[in-house]
Amino acid sequence: MSIREQLEQIKKDGLRELENFADAKELDNIRVRYLGKKGELTAILKQMGKLSAEERPIVGQAANEVRQALENAVQKSVERLKEKELAHRLASETVDVTLPGKSEPLGGLHPLSIVQNELIDIFQSMGFDIVDGPEVETDYYCFEALNVPKDHPARDMQDTFYLGDNLLLRTQTSAAQARVMEKRNPPIRIVCPGRVYRADEVDATHSPVFHQMEGLVVDKGITMCDLKGCLEQFAHEIYGPETKVRFRPSFFPFTEPSVEVDVSCSECGGKGCRICKGTGWIEILGAGMVHPNVLRGCGIDPDVYSGFAFGIGLDRLTTTRYRISDIRLLFENDERFLDQFQGK
Amino acid sequence: MKVSFNWLKRYVDIDVTPEVLCDKMTMSGFEVEEMIDLSASMDRVVVGKVLQMEHHPDADKLWVCQIDVGEEESVQIITGAQNVFEGALVPCALHDSHLPNGVHIKKGKLRGLPSNGMMCSGEELCLSENDYPGAGVHGILILEGDWKPGTDMRDVLGMNDVIIDFSILSNRPDCNSVIGIAREVAVVLGKEFKAPVVSYETRSGDIHNDIDIRVEDFDLCPRYVGRVVKNLRIGPSPEWMKECLRSAGVRSINNIVDITNFVMLETGQPMHAYDLRYVKGHQIVVRRAHEGEIMKTLDDKEHTLTGDMLVIADAENPSCLAGIMGSLHSEIEPDTTELLFETAKFRRDNIRRTARALGMRTESSARFEKGTDIMNCSYAMDRALSLVQELDCGDIVEGTIDVNNGLPEERTIHTSVSAILALLGVEIPTETVVLILNSLHLASTLGEDGDSLSVKVPSYRDDVESRADLAEEVMRIYGYEHIVSTPIKGVVIRGKKLPERIASDTIKALLVGESMREITTYSFISSKSCDLLSLPEDDVRRKAVSLLNPLGEEYSTMRTQLISSMASVLATNISRKNPAGRFFEVSKLFLPKALPLTEQPEEVPALSLGLYGEGEDFFSLKGIVEMIFTRCRMDVSYARADEPFLHPGRQAKILYKDQLIGVMGELHPLTAEKFGIEGRAYVAELRLETLYAALEAQRTFYAPLPRHPASVRDLSILADADMPVAEIEAAIRKGAGKVLEKLKLFDVYQGRQVPDGKKSVSYSLTLRAPDRTLTVEECDKTMAKVLKALEEIGISMRS
Repeated sequence: MSIREQLEQIKKDGLRELENFADAKELDNIRVRYLGKKGELTAILKQMGKLSAEERPIVGQAANEVRQALENAVQKSVERLKEKELAHRLASETVDVTLPGKSEPLGGLHPLSIVQNELIDIFQSMGFDIVDGPEVETDYYCFEALNVPKDHPARDMQDTFYLGDNLLLRTQTSAAQARVMEKRNPPIRIVCPGRVYRADEVDATHSPVFHQMEGLVVDKGITMCDLKGCLEQFAHEIYGPETKVRFRPSFFPFTEPSVEVDVSCSECGGKGCRICKGTGWIEILGAGMVHPNVLRGCGIDPDVYSGFAFGIGLDRLTTTRYRISDIRLLFENDERFLDQFQGK
Repeated sequence: MKVSFNWLKRYVDIDVTPEVLCDKMTMSGFEVEEMIDLSASMDRVVVGKVLQMEHHPDADKLWVCQIDVGEEESVQIITGAQNVFEGALVPCALHDSHLPNGVHIKKGKLRGLPSNGMMCSGEELCLSENDYPGAGVHGILILEGDWKPGTDMRDVLGMNDVIIDFSILSNRPDCNSVIGIAREVAVVLGKEFKAPVVSYETRSGDIHNDIDIRVEDFDLCPRYVGRVVKNLRIGPSPEWMKECLRSAGVRSINNIVDITNFVMLETGQPMHAYDLRYVKGHQIVVRRAHEGEIMKTLDDKEHTLTGDMLVIADAENPSCLAGIMGSLHSEIEPDTTELLFETAKFRRDNIRRTARALGMRTESSARFEKGTDIMNCSYAMDRALSLVQELDCGDIVEGTIDVNNGLPEERTIHTSVSAILALLGVEIPTETVVLILNSLHLASTLGEDGDSLSVKVPSYRDDVESRADLAEEVMRIYGYEHIVSTPIKGVVIRGKKLPERIASDTIKALLVGESMREITTYSFISSKSCDLLSLPEDDVRRKAVSLLNPLGEEYSTMRTQLISSMASVLATNISRKNPAGRFFEVSKLFLPKALPLTEQPEEVPALSLGLYGEGEDFFSLKGIVEMIFTRCRMDVSYARADEPFLHPGRQAKILYKDQLIGVMGELHPLTAEKFGIEGRAYVAELRLETLYAALEAQRTFYAPLPRHPASVRDLSILADADMPVAEIEAAIRKGAGKVLEKLKLFDVYQGRQVPDGKKSVSYSLTLRAPDRTLTVEECDKTMAKVLKALEEIGISMRS
């Protein structure tokens, strides 16, 4: 066989073998056998010396072409092999996507905090400062400054926990009103969320510890229409934009006129249902125009300024929002209960 | 206040249904708690007259009765009752009738004979002896009087009525009376209020010959009015009065007692009647009780009085606990012939305190507590005397004794219509304002300028003091639906949160991210909580504020620590088989400055953490604590602590700038047992003030990213097993100096290949200089310094 014939044979054999190999090791063996330093092609090239000067470039070129063809084929085989291996790996790595993910359980705020934060956001966006007041109050700030004199039957409305002669656990966040009005000059626009106490025995709807948010606005020319506008905006945020607000006359010593505020039942849209006990309305808070005696007591002239105040019961708002049947659940802190509150 | 619809009709021409009235009253400030239609509970029950009675042929104890029920043919009814007789008038439930007890009556057969209905007992009609005489008797109710057979029993029993229970606001004590409600009803219906006619004639005599009245304590009794009635003709009251009383749940006794109760219900002024036979020395003295004075009240209970309780006494003993209840034997009895009527004004807080102290609450005391009108004393007295004359039950003696310390003058408020409307923000025509005020008996006169207003306030409306009160009166009648919504006036301001709230929200969010759930517990806890935590006698946390009137021992002390509340929550969850829990609470500690309390205690914000369940240990708790301080960028240190309620080997105190700000650890097994906690639980408590301050002061500035590569060296050392790693780390930091960027502990090992009493500790040190790449030699030098520093505290490289 001439060298050229040998070259052709090598090319043919090599390409055939590269078509058909088992794994990376075999591929490498083939590559070394044909293209390596001791490989078949090299062996042939060593015979070049025997050729004539005319033949040498021609055979040389042919040999290069064979090398090139084999190298290309090897390269392709390597790529094919990689693809095959990758496909194999990916196939073997298939997971059951329905198995659970790796995660820590969700934590969460207490439902009372969720509702309180929501209210804070609403009122803050309406320009109210969020303030705090002490839970242990003096008789003066809890009653006297709020126009509740010592013998007034209004004090029967709320049985108070006393800590000392003149010290008590505040029965209402309204206690913060006078403190704010003494410190700030109008215009005043604040809400005070917090914990309040009344000597109620514990049952499904009463807790001796509960939560309120007091709101107070004092400025020149504030009217009951402003109060309604403010509460309507609040009600729309909480209960939806279709919600209607209704005032009913009421009595609180520190506001005059005083009103109970009802919203149209969001469940039945005001037609009457189990939630609103058939009335179409749900009572949500008490409010009114700040009593002139209260303003005067804090050094604000009631002939120049007027204001309104409102008090929202957060526990009730929370229990109705989440349809919690028993207020005691809020204070039991059972993990299975708390787990249910991640948002609205 | 429960008011009968029929009774109201005596004073107002009501031309609307009870439902409509209830709506109108609710919207004018008298919320309806309940509306009870008495007639709805019963139908087709009529008066029946027993015409004929025969023994049932097949049953000895049954009677076959023919009953006239007002129809052409009599009805046959079979009964087992033995008190029925021919000619008796009985309540008869016809076929397809309903009884108040819910029973549906249908015709049927008894032992083979048809029975077309049922004769009823008092019990079956839900009546007690109180409601109808004889109703308590075992057997059929035998009716009194001369009723026509077929008369609806609802008429007989006064059940064609609707009882409306109004909730009376505490500024309107005048409406704890039928008249008070009627006045309001008249206004909302736009009708005239017809006050009961008061007129009577006196017979001979002079009250001063019969009785002398003296008030010693005007501060507690500013007015006392007395009248005498003689030649009493005591007997039953007329049916209309009985019906009124029954509608209010008051039992009819006799005409005189009934008049006192009727007048109280009608006018709101409680009355008392004294049998003059028992008023010793012809004297009434209104005085404070003697300390320790004993008195037996009508209900046969003996009370020991104190010196701040008011009594109405005769020359010797108390006859009446003022405004609350009379004494035994001062009652009007069937043989009483002469009496003294009392209408008085007592100070409401005094009555309240006495009634509470003695555990007595009566219709009378309830009204005095809420407040009565001093001017109403004379009107109520006149009304009672009018009734005495109307019912012809006695002769009224000439003369009134009216003891008082001066009566208030009529008050007039001077304001203007525009000032009233300025509070409301709505336009109401001036005439309407004046009309509304006048309809409420707030006699208003408009000034010549057409705006200024003077308003005369009746004595029973002492809640009306200023233009704000007038604004309310106008608005509640004009209708709150006329208030329109306007955006709040004034400059637009941005609402702000206090820094403390922002900080606490930050910390809460962080904890929520650590799978923790927020809990809410009471701020007052058991006084025994400190014992449960085994706190020593002199522990500062035992200095707690106590409630003077707690609901019970379990809620008696304002908490000075949050641990016991947290432990209780862990116990609850563990006992309910919840497998794991991570909880936190942000709340206040109440720390008194001095005890007994003289000023408000400090209210210190604090955080408690609690964990239990698989995978939780001291270090999972510490990890959370560390994360909080990382967020606050506070460089705190941890040291062994000695809280008695924590595991002695697994607890740490947390120090910031040498100040103790928290404690954490595993609950001591004995403490856990006391709280009912099975297994291990971990708790921590942090004071939050410094954290809040740190968060508020936090300012972030960018630090350039490193430009030169770091070298990482690992280091394994052998240390005494009980040496805290904090000491090792301090030595490493000291030795390495500034080039140590990061020190990370990655292994602590005790066991094979480590000598007894030793532990192997492995660190990874990241070394870096900001201005150059550290050379190998520099790194080697640093490590040599580290080893030297470690040798100084007796530590060698692990070989």
